Formats: sequence, structure tokens, C-alpha cells
Amino acid sequence: MSKKAGKNNHLLSYPLIILASSGDVEAINTVLKHYEGYIAALSTRQLYDESGNKHFCVDEVLRRRLETKLITKILTFNVA
Amino acid sequence: MKPSYHEQSKRHAFDSFCKKILKHEARDYYDELKRQRKKEKSFSDLSLKEMEQLYKVDKYFVTEQIFNVLGLDVIVTDDVIAGALDNLPEQKRDIILLSYFLELSDREIGDKLNMLRSTVQYQRTRTLQQIKTFMGGDVHE
Repeated sequence: MSKKAGKNNHLLSYPLIILASSGDVEAINTVLKHYEGYIAALSTRQLYDESGNKHFCVDEVLRRRLETKLITKILTFNVA
Repeated sequence: MKPSYHEQSKRHAFDSFCKKILKHEARDYYDELKRQRKKEKSFSDLSLKEMEQLYKVDKYFVTEQIFNVLGLDVIVTDDVIAGALDNLPEQKRDIILLSYFLELSDREIGDKLNMLRSTVQYQRTRTLQQIKTFMGGDVHE
């Protein structure tokens, strides 16, 4: 997420939200980009190799799944 | 330009909406994994009987002898039995093959070979005796 330069700057703008929920591809991509970091954080999993060392690894399956879910759900958001 | 109160609250709502969706979806995913892990079983934990159901072994280099009876092929994979059958005269062999490998009744065999049912029965029992002596000590019975 972008740095908080000012108050509420971490929020997406209202017109963009309206566009995204009405299915505008550009807007949806912007939303996905906005939550990219959070999605990556959620899909990071701890793995252990044979010698027991910890690894952090982004589960691509989960990442794609979260993105897809977000896209389908954005369209149902009630803007009014 | 100051955004209206409504717009401001919608922006917050959208933000929390998205985060909630992502969080719950991730949790669903981990729950599914957990459920799957519970049902998964390692191969080494399977009983021998369960393992056997998982594979099938093709037999190679097994002596297969094919006998032709009334246009049908009968495959015999046992060496001893194949040898015994090979030693029989053709008609007797046909009776044995039809009766024990193709599971026909004496009457059906009689119809096919133009013989009386009683002849078939007699021949069949006689031939079995012959086979028994031929196989001798090879098979305990």
C-alpha cells in the first residue's frame, strides 16, 4: 500500500470505486494493484525444507484465488 | 475540494469490504487445506489389501498356451495344466476346455459337439482322471 502522505490517502478515490464496481477493467486493475501487497502478505506461507529451515514463499495458487475472488466481489459492492 | 461525508464513508466501506473478502477467502483456503490433510493418507499407512486395489501388474514372459476350441481362444497360463491339455486327444481336450474354462454344461457341450449328454459326462470324468495321472505328483490333490 502507498505511503500515507496525507489523511485518507491510503483509500481509493470514490469515482474509482464506482467505476470498479460497475465493471471497468482499468479501475478493477487499479484496485487489484492497490491491494497487491495485502494479497501477497495473505498468501505468504511458511515452508520448511528437509533440514528444517524456514522459508517464506508466496503460494501462487492462493494469490490467484484471492485476486479472482476480489474481482468477482468488487462487482457486487453497493456504491449508492 | 472536500469530499462529502457520504463519499468518505463509502471509501472506508470499500476498503474494509475488500480486506474482509481477502481475509475470509484466505481463511477458507487454509481450512480447505486442513480438511484435505485430515482425509489424506500416506501410502505407507495403507493396508496391503488397499494397496493391491491401486495397481495392476501386467504379466510378461508367462508361458501362455492358446487352445482353440470351436473358434474361441482359451488362454492357459499354467505350465502344468497347459502341458496336460496338450497331451490329450483333440476331442477330449475340447470337452475339458468347454466345460471348465468356458463353463458350459454337459448338455450344451453335447449340442455343440454332436454328442449325447451322457457321452460328454463320461468323457469328461475319464479325461479328468487322465489329467490327474498325467500331472501325478506335481499337484497335490
